[in-house]
Amino acid sequence: MRAALGKVLCLGKEMFLKRAFALSRVTAARESPTCAVGSTLLSCNRHYRSQPTHGIGRFRHLLPLELSKRKRDRIRMKEISAGSDHAYGDLNIQMTAYDMCLVEHFAQYVHKLCNRFSIRVIESYAMPTKTTEVMVMQEQGSRLYLDAVLTTHQRVVQISGLSSTFAPVLLEVIQSNQPEGVHLSVKEHTEADFKVRLKARPELEELMAQMS
Amino acid sequence: MALWCGALWPMGGKMAAPMQRALCGAAVPWRWALGPRWLAAAAAPRWRLVGALCLQRPPSITQALSPEQEEMAQLVHQIEVEKSNFSDHEIRRLAEEEQLRKMKDNIQDEEADSGQAIVLAQDLEDAWEQKFQQFKAGPRITDADKCNDRTSLNRKLDRNLMLLVKEKVGNQELWLLPQAEWQAGETLRSTAERALATLSGNCIQAKFLGNAPCGLYKYKFPRALRTEGSVGAKIFFFKALLQSGDLPQAERKEDYVWVSRGELGDYLKPDYLTQVNRFLMDQ
Repeated sequence: MRAALGKVLCLGKEMFLKRAFALSRVTAARESPTCAVGSTLLSCNRHYRSQPTHGIGRFRHLLPLELSKRKRDRIRMKEISAGSDHAYGDLNIQMTAYDMCLVEHFAQYVHKLCNRFSIRVIESYAMPTKTTEVMVMQEQGSRLYLDAVLTTHQRVVQISGLSSTFAPVLLEVIQSNQPEGVHLSVKEHTEADFKVRLKARPELEELMAQMS
Repeated sequence: MALWCGALWPMGGKMAAPMQRALCGAAVPWRWALGPRWLAAAAAPRWRLVGALCLQRPPSITQALSPEQEEMAQLVHQIEVEKSNFSDHEIRRLAEEEQLRKMKDNIQDEEADSGQAIVLAQDLEDAWEQKFQQFKAGPRITDADKCNDRTSLNRKLDRNLMLLVKEKVGNQELWLLPQAEWQAGETLRSTAERALATLSGNCIQAKFLGNAPCGLYKYKFPRALRTEGSVGAKIFFFKALLQSGDLPQAERKEDYVWVSRGELGDYLKPDYLTQVNRFLMDQ
């Protein structure tokens, strides 16, 4: 019995394995009550490591090496490509509206359109929501009272490598499919646009000012 | 050369290089013999270049939904409303209605009015409703639509309108997009801008979307007019969007129209129309 199991553990040839398999099946049937009770880690008959399919689900060794990044280093600005004579560099398509569903759907539409036209979309992000309180003068008195609270939502789709011959076509398609209430603007991406997305850290700035 | 071909074919594959060398060797004297004629043909321009302008007024309202779209929109809206939670305003309104009902039931027991808001949610809703009744939306079908005045820009607010002018070409009057002939030293886009300036006299602000033309129409002159230098003309179309301004109304009332895509067929010649239709994007 032990010898048979030992044969199973050492990866022998196929004939060996078939015989060992048959034997182990018989032994497993008899010893199953004890094996089932204890954990599988305790038992020494782990057949699958000997099978040719061992490691069939492994994929991490195929992925490119990812260096672990510290949280502080993660936010780094990507290089802004300047355009050449025949192609634009990084462009920001900014869509602003009061209605969030509308502007999000339009941003999704623009993104899918760019994918369809094989235009490289670098990023598609949202700017923070701005809340505006509309105060109206009271008719009877002179006090301002709150009439409405409006939220302005902005979505940005950043594209790159738009050729100058195709740009008019894309712009016209986007403009003609613009929904009511959405304000559209296409601008070149600058560092200021990137900095606007980051939060200012007043304590850090205070300390830096104190140091210098 | 024929012997060379016969010898090289069975080898297969690598015949390209020797063949090229042979061709080059044989071609050089051939090109020299035709030298003067080839140069002479390229020197004189055979086609006249013209830059034309497709000035479009973008629509200011969206088109009406078709019946199926309308039905679908209503159904989706109903589903959304039924699936959604109450908003703050609605919760407040329900709470206040509860309070009012309790006050009515307990009116003999308590008459305390404390803690009640001065302005109820219901009052707010009534005020909003009144404001909405006072609001009047602009008309979708304008006066110009009703009398079909094609020279006005206020017509067909849900469609693109294009500018067409009537000009004398050769010996006949034709409707076409405003154009100007290309002069040496300027780009074709500046030709189109010049056409716009001469037509409108700086009243119109238009935005060109790019330097590349969107369409081409080429035609040959009738045999009588063909000269050694010009066989025909090539018209390059440039698209521009109208930002503001209009043609000065005083002059030339019959010479220009603003038309939508469907009405182009009434004015343009068939060949010209097919080429123009190729770069128009609306229905």
